Amino acid sequence: MPTLKIDNREINVPAGTKVIEAAERLGIMIPRFCFHPALGSVGACRVCAVAFTEGPVKGIQMSCMIDAQDGMVVSTTDAEAVDFRRHVIEFLMLNHPHDCPVCDEGGHCLLQDLTVAGGHGLRRYRGLKRTHINQDLGPLVQHEMNRCIQCYRCSRYYQEFTGYRDLGVMGIGSRVYFGRSAPGMLESPFAGNLIDICPTGVYTDKPSRYIGRRWDYQRQPSLCIHCSLGCNLTASARYRQVVRHEARPNLEVNGHFICDRGRYGYAYASIADRPRQAMAAGTPGPIVDILAGAREAIQQTVEKHGPGSVAVVVSPRSSLETLAVVKEACGQHGWTGPAAAHTNRQALNRNTAVSCLRPELAVSLAADTEAHDVLVIGADPLNEAPMLALSLRQVQRRGGHVIVIDPRGVQLPFDFDHWAVHPSAMGAILQALIQEIGGHRATAPDTPATFDITKLARRLNASPRPVVVCGTDILTPHEIALAGDLARALRRTHKVAGLFYTLAGANAFAAALLHDQPVSTEAVLDRIEDGGVRLLVAVEQDLWREFPDRKRLQAALKRLDHLVVLDYVDSPLNREAGHFIPTQPLYESGGHWINQEGRLQAASPVMAGGEPIEITGGSDHPPRVFDRRIPGDEPLAAWRAVAALAGEDEADPAPQLKTALADFHPAVNLSTPEATGQRIDLEAIAHDLVESGPAPEPAEDDAPADAVVLLLVDWTFGTEPLSAMAPALTRMEAAPVARLHPDEIARLGLAEGRPVTVSLNGNRLTVPVQADPRMAAGVMAVPRHHLLEWQVFGETRVIVKRSQLKAESE
Amino acid sequence: MPLPLTAEDRLHLKTLQPQIAASPKGRGQLIPLLQMAQKALGYLPDEALSLVADHLAVTRSEVYGVASFYNQFRFNPPGKNPVKVCMGTACHVRGGEIILENFERKLEIREGETTEDREFSIERVACVGCCALAPVALVGETLHGHMAPSKVEGLVLRVRLEKEKAEREAAHS
Repeated sequence: MPTLKIDNREINVPAGTKVIEAAERLGIMIPRFCFHPALGSVGACRVCAVAFTEGPVKGIQMSCMIDAQDGMVVSTTDAEAVDFRRHVIEFLMLNHPHDCPVCDEGGHCLLQDLTVAGGHGLRRYRGLKRTHINQDLGPLVQHEMNRCIQCYRCSRYYQEFTGYRDLGVMGIGSRVYFGRSAPGMLESPFAGNLIDICPTGVYTDKPSRYIGRRWDYQRQPSLCIHCSLGCNLTASARYRQVVRHEARPNLEVNGHFICDRGRYGYAYASIADRPRQAMAAGTPGPIVDILAGAREAIQQTVEKHGPGSVAVVVSPRSSLETLAVVKEACGQHGWTGPAAAHTNRQALNRNTAVSCLRPELAVSLAADTEAHDVLVIGADPLNEAPMLALSLRQVQRRGGHVIVIDPRGVQLPFDFDHWAVHPSAMGAILQALIQEIGGHRATAPDTPATFDITKLARRLNASPRPVVVCGTDILTPHEIALAGDLARALRRTHKVAGLFYTLAGANAFAAALLHDQPVSTEAVLDRIEDGGVRLLVAVEQDLWREFPDRKRLQAALKRLDHLVVLDYVDSPLNREAGHFIPTQPLYESGGHWINQEGRLQAASPVMAGGEPIEITGGSDHPPRVFDRRIPGDEPLAAWRAVAALAGEDEADPAPQLKTALADFHPAVNLSTPEATGQRIDLEAIAHDLVESGPAPEPAEDDAPADAVVLLLVDWTFGTEPLSAMAPALTRMEAAPVARLHPDEIARLGLAEGRPVTVSLNGNRLTVPVQADPRMAAGVMAVPRHHLLEWQVFGETRVIVKRSQLKAESE
Repeated sequence: MPLPLTAEDRLHLKTLQPQIAASPKGRGQLIPLLQMAQKALGYLPDEALSLVADHLAVTRSEVYGVASFYNQFRFNPPGKNPVKVCMGTACHVRGGEIILENFERKLEIREGETTEDREFSIERVACVGCCALAPVALVGETLHGHMAPSKVEGLVLRVRLEKEKAEREAAHS
């Protein structure tokens, strides 16, 4: 622990800390361009020069390149060092175009700040500036190469940190160029971070180009709700429209970065067809009347058929506040539900994962990067939770090893081992692994010899820090529990073994805490079909887009006496509703979310609700007609609407929310502000959910030999319903295809590029076939793409017989 | 815009293809392969870069990044009469920059580029060793000392006329 003196202040830092970081701990910000905490030092920009007056190093040195050592005396204000830095900035500014007035970075530009702070105000160089031709890098990132100061942050981030190689550095000397070999879409789904990381305006946010300066925006800390990882971000809004997301550093969750799905998925909140008008059977009315009407309908149903005839479905994307008020309402009134998962398997999967996540095993996304060996089971990180792939990339960069056991053709931006095994073999492999780790010889039947379980067990056993990552989308509850057992078995031989589940939905963890016995939409539909449920309340749950059996859903909705829908996205479901109540997305309501490792996080409201001026003003000028009201400001926070449906007329819902949150679950404690940002009390969660619940066994065991398992899966872009509405991201989407192993295509008599029709229980799905040699045999993976009507089979994992597949001619 | 490939270039690419395919793989082979390609074609068109990138399974950006780092690689075909304008100290002082600019204007190409008919290309070179004659330019193998902007047009015209003459004679005989 070296002790050194910076600007006459003493500080003690861990060995290996750079002087620039030591100064930062004292609150002294040494100028920097190339240094970035996530990327480390290279000493390329020379602007962090400080004077070392005493100790092992002497003279003007780069503070990002020198480790703090005992006895160092550093001056950041030394006249020679200040002069040095001033000259460096003047030199870096030689070729800069001085286009700050038209540059989107202006106002939050590091180069701008340091030029002014460094005292370089007069331009002395009169020569020609070097110029470059810019490239079209796709719909997300705008390129303006003339502004570049050659700090190399972008190429280091893009190539070293994320592992993609299509953007890099070219040329030499004054011809140095950062870009692609030819214009084109950036391949990395983490490319948006170039915008945050560039110290000047070479890479700027394309969708929000020319919309405003940073000080024009309403900016608040927010969260990403496009997967379960709960990455932190800063949301910016202007003129009642969310216009930009930036990564908000949280060293315990997402580090310094976010993925492009999270960065650009915000458009749903301000889109033109977002419903903002309360409606009764398609007729707009004041929201107070509609709420009263819905409340009356609920009361009538309860009087006629009992409280159990009212059912509530809620979404795992809703805030903790909404979930708590819904739970409270159901408990108080005896309503059925709330259901917060579509199928029984999905509900059990989620609850099994939550109950298996013991406090001593849980690891955060950031802690994943410190693992030595990561075993990924039944998860496709890049597609399901993109930032997980970036974390795993760091494991590999630090010399660790990643093994993925998954039937899909998993791709990651680094070298890893992939065991493409059939979904039905996953359980046996996990069981064999647990036995081997316990020191018993075991073999898994139906496992190819290339997948050496003994070797893998030995590797995990010898690893100083193993982590088990487990998905909950394509697996069964049994396998998810086994993944937990595996982590526990490893813990016996290690002090540090981790367990990391990914869940479906941003607040899926909280949804799992709604009940000990999970309720699924599937179960609610059963009750509708047998006449037990007569009125359904759908709270921010777009059953139309997300429930995996649309035909059944439609039939069930027809049997209902009444449907009440509360949501902020446009859906055919809203038009079916007897009462529709518009709600607010998180940018307007704020709220709390619990991510997949049980971390409670808060999002602040960013803006007041209302139709964006771009829409009310016809994308031209703000309307010149003035009113006391903001147009389209009717939507309520979902928890307020639910409280109004469940509570007394005109009652203030705030106390109701307070009791609902207090009663939500003993593990969740919102009473102290310190609890936010921390993991909830996992110890307080019952750990015997699985044993008590019905655990459906995989049906694949008695499937005919020529059958394939059809998996409806996630893709990075195009399958997550909210982000799929973002126009910027639609260009990033690939067209939906069914992926199969080439041998499987031949065996089934299909042809690559040609469509195949899957017919099951009278439902059909037609999708083009694509060969993927990384896939397991006997598996067909189809994305839950918004361009595909995939909601046909009632499940996202089904068995399809050879006879149910038909090759189409075109 | 890169110049289109000539029939000759295509022929060279065809012979290059099996040579590259037969070469060893690995990232360390990148520079030897680029040298091989430049030897065969005289320059590195996009097609040659793609051949190398595909063979070594690295991205086009990486290949281009390495190739553009070294001065030995060129991305434009050499002209039949390469114009080399000296930018050494003496020539710089005597206005070499102006001579370069005049060539660029006359030939309607920039430094480092080649005319569409592949007759001329312009390069800047360091000292050619006859500083007393500064400013100096080389057209092909011929050295022209005491260059002046007014001489540029004459030099280019002379080369073009000589070419026409040679063509006429070839047609006659």
